[in-house]
Amino acid sequence: MPIALTLNGEERVSNHSPLTPLVDVLRDEFFLKGAKTVCREGFCGSCTVMVDGRAVVSCLLPLGHVEGADVETVESLASDGVLCAVQKAMVEHDAVQCGMCFPGMVMSLVAFFDDLHKTNGAPKPASADVKAALCGNICRCTGYERIVTAALSVSDGIHAQRNEEQS
Amino acid sequence: MNHSEQASYYSAHSTEDALDALHERGANAQVMAGATWLLREPLRAQPLSRDYVSLSRIEGLKQIVVTDEHVRIGSCVTHTQLARQLRALPICRALELAASNSANPAVRNVATVGGNLCAVKFPAADLVPALMALGAQVQVRSRDGVETFDIEHFLAIREQLPPAHFVDQILLDKSTLASTHSSHARLPLRKAGDYPVAIVSVAASVDRQSLIRDIRIAVGSIEALPRRWTALENWARGKPLDVLAMTEKARDYASQFQGRDSVEAPAWYRVKVLPTLLGRALAALVSH
Repeated sequence: MPIALTLNGEERVSNHSPLTPLVDVLRDEFFLKGAKTVCREGFCGSCTVMVDGRAVVSCLLPLGHVEGADVETVESLASDGVLCAVQKAMVEHDAVQCGMCFPGMVMSLVAFFDDLHKTNGAPKPASADVKAALCGNICRCTGYERIVTAALSVSDGIHAQRNEEQS
Repeated sequence: MNHSEQASYYSAHSTEDALDALHERGANAQVMAGATWLLREPLRAQPLSRDYVSLSRIEGLKQIVVTDEHVRIGSCVTHTQLARQLRALPICRALELAASNSANPAVRNVATVGGNLCAVKFPAADLVPALMALGAQVQVRSRDGVETFDIEHFLAIREQLPPAHFVDQILLDKSTLASTHSSHARLPLRKAGDYPVAIVSVAASVDRQSLIRDIRIAVGSIEALPRRWTALENWARGKPLDVLAMTEKARDYASQFQGRDSVEAPAWYRVKVLPTLLGRALAALVSH
């Protein structure tokens, strides 16, 4: 039975079985290769996407569960070639290495900042908050510190922009 | 392929619809909630092969309702929801801590309390010891109506329940918990991924002389099934809530646990760390 969902803003229909993990549908049917299949156990975070605004591990989510949902992958973040704030910060801090884990890292951080913005409107997290948000994303290249620094610079940027707007 | 040709999926839109679907599918039916545990089955060389009935679209199962008597938690409430909504309910502290620290954020957004209770082969479910310490009751729904079990009884019989049933709600008694403080501690290891190698949840009340009136200690991940540490509870009742003394006694009693071997940690290690973990849970309870 075809399953309809909104994928990166477009209405799409999948013909995969509803028990197929979402990550396989994204990669094999819609050719969105940002989400990676690595551990398939929800440990590594390489397959992280957003469903209805929440970060989820797409390896453990059956397609049937996202019928009618709004699914966003890393491919949706840059619009007209302009990177989103999290992506930009990663480039500026030279935090990207092999790239295997990065789409998941970026999606976790985008969901984290969106959530902070919704819940307290002033997204200035502590380093520990960023680390907690990334605890499900494993990187074997960087040692995390540059990633965390880059993430913290995102909130600094948002605050600077807000202060500028207010002055 | 993560599932066999025979497997099927049905997304129920109401509790009645779910019960009808479970009935129609008979013995091969299996309830699915967040699916984070079930979708790991192919990794264990067990392709999905059942007739799955998903509860994930039933709005009524995704609510936490606080009444005069109970905190009623729908079985499809996620760990993230629990962590957020229980922050305003200090009587549920152990459960809030368990939900806040389980797995990782992207799993917590999907994994459910009902799933934790029903994943029979998952010994490291964080929420179960917390619910045991808080004396939760589990409400099970079938075509015959609803039946409520003490959580420990539910865990003992959950595999014998008739196929056409599902966990509807989890109930926490507010009056019992009103005078209780609780806490939860887990020990993760890098090589164990997101599964804690030991879990301790504690709930205790003290009298006017600061002596322990009642205490419930639940231990998870050490053995195949979580269980209460009744010998230590019995020893502690009527004594002061002294973290060091209880931790010391826990060392004497730790051999009451068998431990389980797995790739994450050997049996002896799980038992060895248990008293220290209990001490951490008690210290957090006292400081809170």
